[in-house]
Amino acid sequence: MTPASTVSGRVQRHKLVDRAYHWLMAAAMLILLVTAFLPILNIKFEWVGIHWVTGLVLTAIVLFHIIRACFFQNFWAMMIDSTDLKAPLAKPGKYDLAQKLYHLAISVLVLAAIATGLLMWRKVDTPFWQRDPYWLSTESWGLVYAIHGVAGMALVTMIIIHVYFALRPDEWHLTRSMLKGWITAKEYQDHHDPKRWQPKD
Amino acid sequence: MSLFRYASSIYGGNDTLIGANYGLLPWFALAGIAFAIAHAIFKAVAAPGRPG
Repeated sequence: MTPASTVSGRVQRHKLVDRAYHWLMAAAMLILLVTAFLPILNIKFEWVGIHWVTGLVLTAIVLFHIIRACFFQNFWAMMIDSTDLKAPLAKPGKYDLAQKLYHLAISVLVLAAIATGLLMWRKVDTPFWQRDPYWLSTESWGLVYAIHGVAGMALVTMIIIHVYFALRPDEWHLTRSMLKGWITAKEYQDHHDPKRWQPKD
Repeated sequence: MSLFRYASSIYGGNDTLIGANYGLLPWFALAGIAFAIAHAIFKAVAAPGRPG
């Protein structure tokens, strides 16, 4: 822990830009799931336009996150390392093994949904082009739709689990850090190994 | 219940994959709820007071 964080009693965990990314992504995901699944549950409305525009927003912010994680953040903080595997219950760095596994699963599902969603965009009339349902073969479209649908349903499972952990009292310091950006110095000492995560504030 | 939906080809031959089976959506939601309940019980019974 740096002297600055000791003096303030707070340790910065998430910068404003990262919190904004998280909540923008949350809003986009909720809009995408609602517009995807309410019509399936027989609540009919004009959902296609909202869905693909929100999908484009999600694509843009995920690209922003990837660039930021690769070049402006500690990319390895979210990667599973040998210490995670040797001592999964030991005090972690910034993220513990469960959080890293969750992030990996969400990454796979969101990237699968985005990749297939971008392909499906070709079957929608947009200001840029007229729809072309024959752009891929029937079999290929089936595969694209299947991956998109399974990823969407799996994201429902993952979001329920995410909200559950955010609401657990023993995780409130992490939820607060995603709202306000900081954890207390005591929370840092109690929950993190200073050798594996040195905050820079 | 299959994870995917298939359509019969009007020309005969194999069924064609056309997408995911959205009838499974409630089961995906239930899986998330079941995980949360199981974890809450585990934390309350097997590891009370343990942080994280």
